[in-house]
Amino acid sequence: MRTIERGSWRALQVGLLAGTCLCMVGTAEAADPMVKACAKDGQFIIGFSQANNAEPYRQHVNDELTAAVKAVPQFTLQIADGAGNVNTQTSQVDNFITQKVDLLLISPFEAAPLTPAVKRAMDAGIPVIELDRKTVGDPGKDYTAFIGGDNYKIAMEAGKYTAKTLLPDGGEAAVLEGLPSSTPAVERLNGFKDGVKENAKIEVVAEQAADWLPDKAQTAFSAMLQAHPDIKVLYASNDMMAAGALLAAKGAGKQVQIIGTDGLPGPAGGIQAVAKGDWAATFTYPTGGKEAIEMAKSILLDCASSVEPTVTVDTTAITAENAKQMMGN
Amino acid sequence: MSEESTSVASGPVAAVPAPVHRDPLALIVRFQSLIGLVLVAIGGVILSPRRHGEILFLAPDNMANIVRAVSETGIIAIGMTFVIITAGIDLSVGAVLGLSSVVTATMMISGGFGLIPTILAVLVMGTAFGAIQGTISSRFRLEPFIVTLAGLQAARGLALVVSGNQYINISYGDGPGLAPPVFAVLGERLFNNTVPVATIVFIAFAAIATVVLNTTRFGRYVFAVGGNERAARISGVPVSMVKISVYAITGFASALAGIVHAGQFNFGSANDGMGYELTAIAAVVIGGTSLFGGAGSMVGTVAGTIMLGALANILQLNNITPAMQLLATAAIIVLAAVLQSLVRRREGLGR
Repeated sequence: MRTIERGSWRALQVGLLAGTCLCMVGTAEAADPMVKACAKDGQFIIGFSQANNAEPYRQHVNDELTAAVKAVPQFTLQIADGAGNVNTQTSQVDNFITQKVDLLLISPFEAAPLTPAVKRAMDAGIPVIELDRKTVGDPGKDYTAFIGGDNYKIAMEAGKYTAKTLLPDGGEAAVLEGLPSSTPAVERLNGFKDGVKENAKIEVVAEQAADWLPDKAQTAFSAMLQAHPDIKVLYASNDMMAAGALLAAKGAGKQVQIIGTDGLPGPAGGIQAVAKGDWAATFTYPTGGKEAIEMAKSILLDCASSVEPTVTVDTTAITAENAKQMMGN
Repeated sequence: MSEESTSVASGPVAAVPAPVHRDPLALIVRFQSLIGLVLVAIGGVILSPRRHGEILFLAPDNMANIVRAVSETGIIAIGMTFVIITAGIDLSVGAVLGLSSVVTATMMISGGFGLIPTILAVLVMGTAFGAIQGTISSRFRLEPFIVTLAGLQAARGLALVVSGNQYINISYGDGPGLAPPVFAVLGERLFNNTVPVATIVFIAFAAIATVVLNTTRFGRYVFAVGGNERAARISGVPVSMVKISVYAITGFASALAGIVHAGQFNFGSANDGMGYELTAIAAVVIGGTSLFGGAGSMVGTVAGTIMLGALANILQLNNITPAMQLLATAAIIVLAAVLQSLVRRREGLGR
């Protein structure tokens, strides 16, 4: 519009051009690509705003994303670490907007605080795919899409597994919660408690927060075992706390069936611990990394006009039966 | 400018012997954070990625990003400057920020209080929290390090109690359970989307603090207590009152930052502000305020705060790993401290 103001001698010409453009928009609206600059052979920068690199699960997400991007030569991935701080993460999203990245991936540390930053990105015309955690609003409208697991459902699966398989005859169970007042901690705690309700003979005798950390989990579970020596099953809201709980059980000389969450690979991860027989099970929390890069490909390379707004990646129960097999993967 | 970092208390109390001459190193240290800020800015311009010839680092929205990101730690660092000039330390600030954001959210959402009563109550609470710490430290002659370490734990515990282990979302609107929409202005940017409101709060608070520190009798007392407590006491400075007041100021600053936090992020959580105390202390030290007390500058603190923000920004724009960011900050803190210590030794004030 500024062009018209500047030179009236070009007004006619500009007017004609604008008219043509409007026409084109009008006819092409039905199948408009989400990103206009999309192209099979373009070069694209994807910014990933990670909640907190210090958590092993999040490092696992970074690794899977990096691996998925390596397979797409048109993509460059930039990862910014929010360091568990909504203020830092907000400023990093703002920086990505300044850089005009072509697509934003984000795992918000908390929902409401990151919502305005995500809105700014959407307003700037940057598609936003939320990984693992959502901001406030609806996928497909307030942000492009959500890809992730369902914390509540995953923990509920663990609860049901406890009710049916581990303690069919009932008994005492305990829960180690993540960082209190963080969203996934609350969802996993509630999910497990609702899951074990299937078996009325199971009693959850203790629940303590161990902030996702193995050392705090060891201390907390030692105390739990002192107070309730008959605990048969421990549900840990992540793999690291399950590892800490195992040390506590060994120290107390108790046989406790431990369930982890996340199903991390590698020598310190849950899959290995189940394969060795140290834990009863762990329930994977899928990263959605592959799915996210697939979606980025369809937006940026294939000029998709729309994508699936919510992609829920299912959990896999890792038990003694399939743990060795999963390690091969 | 010369008022900014006066290391000598003027007026009736001459606490520190005045250095007879000013050597160039002392001058550099006095303005170290401003010099550092200029250096980082120059580095930012040179190293900044460009898009269509535009230097991204200098883009107005990028400048706004930098000053917005540091506004909360900046507000805290302003309060911390008073405490550190008295040779004290306050470790509770980040936790008090978390407590304040939780109380702000709880009062407005579950309590149904209006905006003004909520803000006043939170500011009074923060100030009282600080004053209690100051009183305990001064009455029982305890190291402020220990007292405020306990204060950190207490504030986090209280925040968990108040929030009932939940995160409290702030939704806006009229009626019970909703916050007045005007509160959301703290998360907005004024003047054509270029000036974050959080930054305006930070700068306004810094301006008031600068005037208080440099022109009032209280400001002179603060320098006197930090310079030489015994001399200050003999000269009739109400040392205990000054000490209690500076912790009340950090409590007030933390509460203010907590309100800004709640407004910016529509949210109150007991985990908010974790580690902010260390960022604030770093900004103060880089700003040329001596951890030994007696010398310091408010403008230096502001410059130090913005410098840390600009550094983080330029490293991210260039996609440099967060690890490098920590290492760079570490190097700057050490450099700032070494420069200070060199000056003290040259002036024969080494302690």
